[in-house]
Amino acid sequence: MQNLLLSVDRLSTLIGKVFSWTALVLTLMISWEVFSRYVLNKPHAWMLDFQIMMYGTLFMTAGAYTLSKNGHVRGDVLYGFFAPRTQASIDLVLYFVFFLPGITALTYAGWVYFGESLAIREQTFSAEPLPMYPFKFIIPLSGGILLLQGVVEIIRCIMCIRTGEWPSREEDVEEVDVEKLKEMVHVKDEDIQALDKYVTHEGASK
Amino acid sequence: MKIKKELWFGFSLMALIIAGALAMLIGAEKITNGHIGLLMLSLVVVAIMLGFPTAFTLMGMGMIFTWIAYEESTAKTLDLMVSSAFKVMSNDVLISIPLFVFMGYLVERANLIEKLFRSLHLALVRLPGALAVATLVTCAVFATATGIVGAVVTLMGLLALPQMLRAGYDVKMSAGAITAGGCLGILIPPSVMLIVYGATAGVSVVQLYAGAFFPGLMLAGLYIGYVIIIAKLKPHMAPPLSEAERYVPLPPLLEKVAPSHGARALPALLSALKGKRNQDVPTRYILKQFGIVLAPLVLFLLVAAWSYSSVTRVEPVEEAVALQAMGGDAAEEAVEEDEGGLQAPPGAEEDEAEAGRAGDVQEPPGAEAAKEPAAVEATKEATATAPAEPASTSKPAPTGYWIGVGAGAVALAAFYALLSFTRLEVFKMLLTSFFPLLVLILAVLGSIVMGLATPTEAAAVGALGGFLLAAAYKQLTLQVVKESVFLTAKTSAMVCWLFVGSAIFSAAFALLGGQELVEHWVMSMNLSKTEFLVLSQVIIFILGWPLEWTEIIVIFMPIFIPLLDNFGVDPLFFGLLVALNLQTAFLSPPVAMAAFYLKGVSPPHVTLNQIFAGMLPFMGIQVLAIILLYQFPAIGLWLPQVLYR
Repeated sequence: MQNLLLSVDRLSTLIGKVFSWTALVLTLMISWEVFSRYVLNKPHAWMLDFQIMMYGTLFMTAGAYTLSKNGHVRGDVLYGFFAPRTQASIDLVLYFVFFLPGITALTYAGWVYFGESLAIREQTFSAEPLPMYPFKFIIPLSGGILLLQGVVEIIRCIMCIRTGEWPSREEDVEEVDVEKLKEMVHVKDEDIQALDKYVTHEGASK
Repeated sequence: MKIKKELWFGFSLMALIIAGALAMLIGAEKITNGHIGLLMLSLVVVAIMLGFPTAFTLMGMGMIFTWIAYEESTAKTLDLMVSSAFKVMSNDVLISIPLFVFMGYLVERANLIEKLFRSLHLALVRLPGALAVATLVTCAVFATATGIVGAVVTLMGLLALPQMLRAGYDVKMSAGAITAGGCLGILIPPSVMLIVYGATAGVSVVQLYAGAFFPGLMLAGLYIGYVIIIAKLKPHMAPPLSEAERYVPLPPLLEKVAPSHGARALPALLSALKGKRNQDVPTRYILKQFGIVLAPLVLFLLVAAWSYSSVTRVEPVEEAVALQAMGGDAAEEAVEEDEGGLQAPPGAEEDEAEAGRAGDVQEPPGAEAAKEPAAVEATKEATATAPAEPASTSKPAPTGYWIGVGAGAVALAAFYALLSFTRLEVFKMLLTSFFPLLVLILAVLGSIVMGLATPTEAAAVGALGGFLLAAAYKQLTLQVVKESVFLTAKTSAMVCWLFVGSAIFSAAFALLGGQELVEHWVMSMNLSKTEFLVLSQVIIFILGWPLEWTEIIVIFMPIFIPLLDNFGVDPLFFGLLVALNLQTAFLSPPVAMAAFYLKGVSPPHVTLNQIFAGMLPFMGIQVLAIILLYQFPAIGLWLPQVLYR
């Protein structure tokens, strides 16, 4: 079971990571466009549309990736203080109440939306038009993976309710990776421990 | 025991909200759709507090209530959902979020914070509470460039906290400086929070950036002022550093050249060039040092010349007059050659400098000569006759220009008068850590605020700058780029999916007519403008406890913004107040993230309570800043007004 869950995780992660390179593309393209417009005096009309598409693709497809790493922002005021079982029960109920209906509807509606766009071979409204339907396809695509990932998360909730602890996930880069940051500035755990004497000393003198 | 208290706090808050909603439903004569809208709003706050990912909570809740609002028409509901999602996907304001985030990760991984902190610390060593001030400045600069609160607080907790504790600083004071400083990046542009507010409220991000600049600086200034005052009044909380800690070792080659650490660097380097002392020191090395010493002068001259040519471009005739006057000054300059420091041929070619004194008379004439008064002033600042001369005999540029140049020249002269070898070393460190970041921030910000580039373009170029910075510090590996890219994707997904959810949610709220009800209700309270502002800020402050700033902005701003018109409040000004206010939320217990990050890397005996206690005075300063901004809106509105109205 765990293997199945992890392989879905990997799929979401893979898709998210592949599309996340659009961030780099975006950076380079816009920088080039800035150069082209201000220095070469040669702006491109399609560039703005292209930028928007890159950005939309970037965050939409990363939705499932983020979910697989438990990275979506949660209201943390109480959640962190619950026992894992309570956490899982709340999540399980809310996955059924909010997540599944919402994402299913979005995916379905997105598919219809894409179909309409494809039928008329829709293009952007610009002097140098780009095809619009691949961009609209991003909605059902991201919705679909998100749905799949959501099912995996639901199974995780059930497993957690049974065993009392959350099944493990694969590691990924984290925004605040304390170990890595320590290494970056060459601080070791012993150094921090050694500092304690200043703290306790101060407490004693008061 | 403690855990129970937290849960109790949260549950009672939830109960309060539900009770309020129920009371409203029962109190109403007839339950309209608007009431359902308000019910939805209270339910969503409760649901978010339960801890389910907020984006999906908003989306699900919004969908259910849209369906009710559309009288159970499924087709319409689906339409609304997909069009809301698509609106977020094609939002041309939010597009700068991934780019700024990307820039932040790259800058963070360039790993210059260690050097930055050390150099700032040494540069500020004479101030009372130098370490705490350096911490705040480092935080402000680094947090502004990266915008990642968690990483900044963690890094400073690793770097600055040990040093402050060892130097005998008060634990609370140290913790407060680190956490407060780390949060500055949320306010000082380019910050993601302002983009999110701009996208939600429909306020131009450019104006928000221009507006938030001075309040941000003011807040940082207030923090620093507070630290200095405390260090002066209660030296035991922030004792001055010992000589040993102030000592800056010179590189061995420089050691040979320097007569003493305190000696003035400029004349000493010059005499070294003449050949008496430099037997074992390669000339190239001295020239390099010399180039570094002269860099500010060259920069100053270039800026002066550039701005001179731009202010006088319209009046070419007068410029000629000016040039004559300056020619005279250049001659005077030759007389003064013993002073040293006149050897500032524009461009400061090293060989030219080596050529010695005679060179400076044959400086390129013509337009280049325009730079001269600066050099003259720089050295003759003591006599103070030179600045007056060019200004009085010819009036080629507005007085303001000369005042600016004069002030710059005086500052430059002071810089050279004070530039000892120790300070040269510190200056070199600043040059490789502080200034690159400052230039990056100012370039990004300046190009946005001056209208040279859109925020998106500036963000992209900023990200490119992040690349260059990482490359310059030899940190640019595939691994670093990969990590930054993936983190960017995750962070953007987090913020933007929240927007997808909230777009659906706000649409439902509007459809149900909740907005009208709120408006009706607020208007019936007969508030004055001040009362309204105070009330709204208090509400936002309270919401800051259970919710995160992203949630507050995307859910509640659409409700507040339409009300502003009734009270004649500028949405831009309101945004600045909100941004300052949400800053406080980062520092207010019990959910202050900054405190937990710091706790994670501090010695075991530093308690959370100590950290919270340390944050309190800084929170007070934030409240003071809000009041100041409210009393003197010009702090925030002056710059946008000058630039855009």
